[in-house]
Amino acid sequence: MRPLDRRLLHYASAARRFLLIGALLGFAQTVVVIAFAWLLTRAITLAVAGERLSEIVPTLAALAGAIVLRSVLIWLLEVSANRGAALVKSQLRARVMATLAARGPDWVASRQSARLSTVATTGLDALDNYFARYLPQLLLTMIATPILITVMLWQDLASGLTVIIVIPLIPIFMILIGRATQTVQQEQWQALQRLSTSFLDVVGGLGTLKIYGRERRQFVLLRSITEQYRARTMKVLRVSFLSGFVLELAASLSVAIIAVSIGLRLIDGSLLLGVGLFVLLLAPEAFLPVRQVGAQFHSAADGLAAAEELFTILDDDMVLNDTAPTVPKADATAAPADQLGSGTGGLLLAGVTVRRGDTVVIDQLHAHFAFGKLSVLRGVSGVGKSTLVAALLGFVPMSGEVTLGGVAVVSGATRPWLAWAGQRPGLFRGTVAENVALGAAAADPRVITQSLDWAGAADVSPATVLGVNGDGLSGGQAQRVTAARAIYRALVTDCPVVILDEPSSALDVEAEARLLAGLRRLADQGRVVIVVSHRPAVVAAADHVIELLELTHV
Amino acid sequence: MSDVTLDRAARDVLRLAQPRPRWFVPGLLAGIGSSVMAVALLACSAWLITRAAEMPSLAYLGLAVVGVRAFAIGRSVCRYLERLASHDAAFRQLAELRLGIFRRIVPVAPAGLATTGRGDLLTRLVRDVDDLQDLPLRVVQPLLVAGVTALLSVIGIWLVVPAAGLTLLVCLLLAGVLGTILSGSLAARADRELAPLRGALADEVLEIVENLDALTAFDALSPRLVQLARTDALLRQASLRRSVGVGVQSAIMSLFAGAATLGALYFGIPELISGGGVLSPVLLGPTLVVAVLVPLAVFEVFGMIPLAASAWRQVRVGARRVADVVPATAPVEIPIDVVKPQSLSATDRAAAPPSVVLELTDLGARWPGQAEPGVSGVTLRLAPGDRVHLAGPSGAGKTTLAHSLVRFLDYTGSYRLNGVEARLLAQTEVRRVVGLCEQRPWLFDDSIRQNLLFARDTATDAELDAVLARVGLADWTAQRGGLDARVGERGALVSGGQAQRIALARALLADFPVLIVDEPTANVDSVGADALVRDILTAAADAHRAVLLISHTPVPDELVTARVTLPARF
Repeated sequence: MRPLDRRLLHYASAARRFLLIGALLGFAQTVVVIAFAWLLTRAITLAVAGERLSEIVPTLAALAGAIVLRSVLIWLLEVSANRGAALVKSQLRARVMATLAARGPDWVASRQSARLSTVATTGLDALDNYFARYLPQLLLTMIATPILITVMLWQDLASGLTVIIVIPLIPIFMILIGRATQTVQQEQWQALQRLSTSFLDVVGGLGTLKIYGRERRQFVLLRSITEQYRARTMKVLRVSFLSGFVLELAASLSVAIIAVSIGLRLIDGSLLLGVGLFVLLLAPEAFLPVRQVGAQFHSAADGLAAAEELFTILDDDMVLNDTAPTVPKADATAAPADQLGSGTGGLLLAGVTVRRGDTVVIDQLHAHFAFGKLSVLRGVSGVGKSTLVAALLGFVPMSGEVTLGGVAVVSGATRPWLAWAGQRPGLFRGTVAENVALGAAAADPRVITQSLDWAGAADVSPATVLGVNGDGLSGGQAQRVTAARAIYRALVTDCPVVILDEPSSALDVEAEARLLAGLRRLADQGRVVIVVSHRPAVVAAADHVIELLELTHV
Repeated sequence: MSDVTLDRAARDVLRLAQPRPRWFVPGLLAGIGSSVMAVALLACSAWLITRAAEMPSLAYLGLAVVGVRAFAIGRSVCRYLERLASHDAAFRQLAELRLGIFRRIVPVAPAGLATTGRGDLLTRLVRDVDDLQDLPLRVVQPLLVAGVTALLSVIGIWLVVPAAGLTLLVCLLLAGVLGTILSGSLAARADRELAPLRGALADEVLEIVENLDALTAFDALSPRLVQLARTDALLRQASLRRSVGVGVQSAIMSLFAGAATLGALYFGIPELISGGGVLSPVLLGPTLVVAVLVPLAVFEVFGMIPLAASAWRQVRVGARRVADVVPATAPVEIPIDVVKPQSLSATDRAAAPPSVVLELTDLGARWPGQAEPGVSGVTLRLAPGDRVHLAGPSGAGKTTLAHSLVRFLDYTGSYRLNGVEARLLAQTEVRRVVGLCEQRPWLFDDSIRQNLLFARDTATDAELDAVLARVGLADWTAQRGGLDARVGERGALVSGGQAQRIALARALLADFPVLIVDEPTANVDSVGADALVRDILTAAADAHRAVLLISHTPVPDELVTARVTLPARF
């Protein structure tokens, strides 16, 4: 694990600023710590030498000042660390979201979307502890420890050398133990994973267990599983706690060695009490940041893992989709010859090929969807129906020619000719009306009602308020509202093409019939209406059916 | 304030989490030993040096030299032992904790849990239960260790410089109280100001990421990103405002540690000549130095207290949530067995009767916490050999009905099995004859074999293979390497349709005389749905069995003997 990822500084300018401020504060803090130790030593030596309190009071006053200053600096360092965390998270989040938007839906769909959103939200919160607890201590290790050691060397060479010899041993031992722990953990990992989720498995499956009359047997099972979990976890902990042990032992043993060595040299008078006390007070301070860095190792690892995941998104230099604006070519000189010889207008696909990576999903497809007709696109699962739709939407690059009414359609950032409803509802928090009018400049209540009606969703009130991701509707209702959204866009912006992907998979027969009637009306207005479906009722209602066949060649 | 008053239910939950003394005390003693030795190390070193400066004979220092080395090693060893012992105790208690919670869940699950139908809430419940381990580890142990160490140190110093001891006591109390109160109010403010913003931001990000296709297709992405940037700015500003308070707690600790040191010097120096405490009639230099330096070490240990306080707040909230989800008393909608349940087959209680007639008259049922019944007025008769398709729009109460038939929910009206009112039967007896394939069948993170065997643990591999073939999974199972193939956590390695088929195979193995199949196609893509319905009805068809298929998708006529439609409810 690298303690600090350069990319963090590269992607978030706030991180650079924090490191600078933190370094200054860390330096100031080190100076105050040395002053505190020196003043305390001075007060004690004066007292032991028999000075009266009144003589010592100025030293005590200075000491009080150092104490207050130290508290203030501790406070400032934490404040700046927390500010740094908030600013960096905000900057990184903005970058990730901009990247996701630029990479487009197909790229996002190829990753787990829940994972992606976690990365941009709670995943980033792991940086809180990284910034608040780990980085300041890392800074202090780089700044305070060398200064303190220098002062110790200058005051008492032997003590300084002790610290210099011991401190590098700490990371060496930590790494050795870390390696050993890793081996143990890898051996135990799978078993531990399973044992730790077993309680969830039993509680979640309780309904099923009750159906089969097995609930009582789980008591014994649960106890033995948890006992195994304990035994295996303890086996891992016995090794992983060793790193903490080494840290503490190294730090306290060095203090002990220094104390004894100072004591022995004081007896024969080769050292002064003032020097001895001063060095004794500085010794634990020299170890403190290193110990803290070790103690915060896990929050650091979590934070860096979160950042790492984020950087893989930001760094992934995949070729971005063509973002040319989608203007149908202003004056397409000639409507291409009607290769299929069917119909005079409509949506024409000529030699369309779609690749996903190295796999050809759609190869040289020729198809014609006529204006005013309801077309059904069907084919067995996995044949590439949704991929074709995604290509028409411009989410997946394709080659070949797509013309609409004889004019070439360029896929790009916008697609004013197309209204679409996907397989997944994709609804948002807000009212049904807001969802139906998504992306429209103004919402027309009359058209919204009409769209819902045509989608067979007249029973869903436009005023219904939905939760996040359209929560609150049943599967069938959500599907119909999604269809209504496409219908609304088609009606309001006068889209010539409407594509619906499996719009009736969750609908009962009556609702499906109402939706089909609505789609028929859309077609009757002169639009190309394409429904991806295999449902018998949809196929029966279609004017023509286009069957996508599985590619047989390799 | 995040004022979580702990009622009895939450206190009961917390009690389950605290290990019994026999397990807890060894770790506690090791912890106290470690902390006391950390203080003693500094005290002993300081004494050694100051005394050495007086240039006595080496013999006077021998003990201190040994003490310094022993405390240095003992402190680290004790700390290691403390961590091992306290974790071991917490894990031992985890078994008791999980069993205690499970015992309370069993009678009310699944319909009576407040998490019904919400997988994420269930996951949180389980995590909350496991997180209650923090009570012994991060609350009780540090509080006791820090408290005892501080008390011993105060007494020790009071014995040599009474005024310094009192100063230390006052400083500790002030730092502890102020630190805890401050961190508490800061956490409460964070909850109040930041939590809603964090939630809103997470929701917005999730919506954008999950629905990026819709936003792009409808040209609605830019306004969303602008809105997100606005929410992000609000959160950032709130975080920046809050950051001012965050470091106050450590600053307070450092301030009072210094104050205690200063106090010891101020009160100790005049006594160097004039007198001393109980132990030393005359205060000596080395003793004064001990009194001055010990506060530094005590405060390092004492810093655990505010951390323990914030851990306590989290544990408390977790216990509260667990208590909420797991009701101490079952809601009225959850059936409770009558005292002397009747039996369906008078002669042999263990065997289910070979054929069962199920009759519903004006049956109604309600989910806990709902004012309106989820289903009502259902009249239906199922005899052996019947295959009935129960249709109805979503929200008509189809699943409510299924749950009441297996007695997860209580019912109104009449529900008879072979003429006996189901209410008078033990729930386990009802479930022996009426089986249910749930809408989301739960697969256990184990092999296919284990997922089938618990339905009938005497089944041979040949029988398992036969039943898998019946539900159309023979090839699929063979491809994955047979019965030992794992299904993954929550059936992650299995598609929705395959999960349904495994659930059906399980139900066929259990050979329920009445089988209810609840929306088998709910999580299946539409291509697979029709085939699945057909396969289910074909596989389950049996002259001795009655099948009730609940489904919104159309079912071909030749597969069913009757149809019932539940009216829509609005």
